[in-house]
Amino acid sequence: MEKLRLKVQLSVAFVLNLGIFQWHFMCFPVFNCHSCPVSIFSCPIGIIAQFANVGLIPLSVIGTIALAGLLAGRLLCGWACPFGLVQDLLYKIPYVKFSIPHWARFIKYGVFGVLVVLVPIFLTTEFPLFFCRLCPVATIESAIPWAVIRGTTDVVSLSIRMAILFAIIILAMGHRRFFCKVLCPLGACLSVFNRFAQFFPERTADCLACKVCSKVCPMETDPGSSPSAVFEHRSEECISCLECHKKCPTEAIQLWG
Amino acid sequence: MLREAFFGTLLVLSLAAIVYGGFFRSFLVYDNLEKFEKLKNAGITIKIPGYEQKQEEFSVQSQWFSEPEVVNAMTFEGIGRYKDGRLISNYPDLRMLKGRMPCPT
Repeated sequence: MEKLRLKVQLSVAFVLNLGIFQWHFMCFPVFNCHSCPVSIFSCPIGIIAQFANVGLIPLSVIGTIALAGLLAGRLLCGWACPFGLVQDLLYKIPYVKFSIPHWARFIKYGVFGVLVVLVPIFLTTEFPLFFCRLCPVATIESAIPWAVIRGTTDVVSLSIRMAILFAIIILAMGHRRFFCKVLCPLGACLSVFNRFAQFFPERTADCLACKVCSKVCPMETDPGSSPSAVFEHRSEECISCLECHKKCPTEAIQLWG
Repeated sequence: MLREAFFGTLLVLSLAAIVYGGFFRSFLVYDNLEKFEKLKNAGITIKIPGYEQKQEEFSVQSQWFSEPEVVNAMTFEGIGRYKDGRLISNYPDLRMLKGRMPCPT
């Protein structure tokens, strides 16, 4: 399953950055910066932030995120997000591994609320804490390529971005999907819909409570419990990677909610 | 049952948002003559039909943009908000927003 997921992630990352045409009038709900010279779709978080800056709500973009979330929750995080792929590969590098406290996962909701919405509304997109100016994906896909292609005069800004990117790379090497769990504002948006998603791994009555699913889960979720869940058997962190489905000894995890 | 009810409601709302935002919503965007003037004063000449007029004949032009066109313009920070609340082009001419593709920021 992991190899299949890797192939799908690589294919999607390739297709999203083909560069032969650009459909920036619509977004694809994964983290892929639209300022990248070869990107095809616009980044939903970048668009929400830019619309917030002029006091508007991008209905089509929010509808697209909601639709993707309702159909499959955070499945796109697990199977389609190029930065998720980068983090999966980074974690394979031998490095000191560490865990994070559960509360750290709530930081991403603050990132979305403050850096993506409030900063552009009340300050400007030029403000240093504007999310796109800090985003590691934008640094990889936009800031570095454009600095190479055109050169840059804003060395300080680029240096800060590179430092943030470097820190996230180090953290992603030590903790699996660190950015997705703690900082990703798109993950925060999609995680809300995990409670209602149609495609979602759930435990059935055949479960032996052996906890194998919890041990193999990259997001450290338990398909059988969610401390703050409105509905039972739903975790807001699950990215539907299906490792639990593959490893379950009694095939007690069904895929359709 | 509660989940299905939430799912159905949210699905209808999200589809309505996509359809309305994607096909029916539009925004009135104005020219940024201030920026055009700044460029002109700095000695940068932009040859745009209609702007070879005298200062007193300048008139602000506006154009309706669909939401996807605004989304496209936002990918290169093409639209801003003026002091009086109206949407303005961050580029001297509105035609620099529609259909523009590459978007370095």
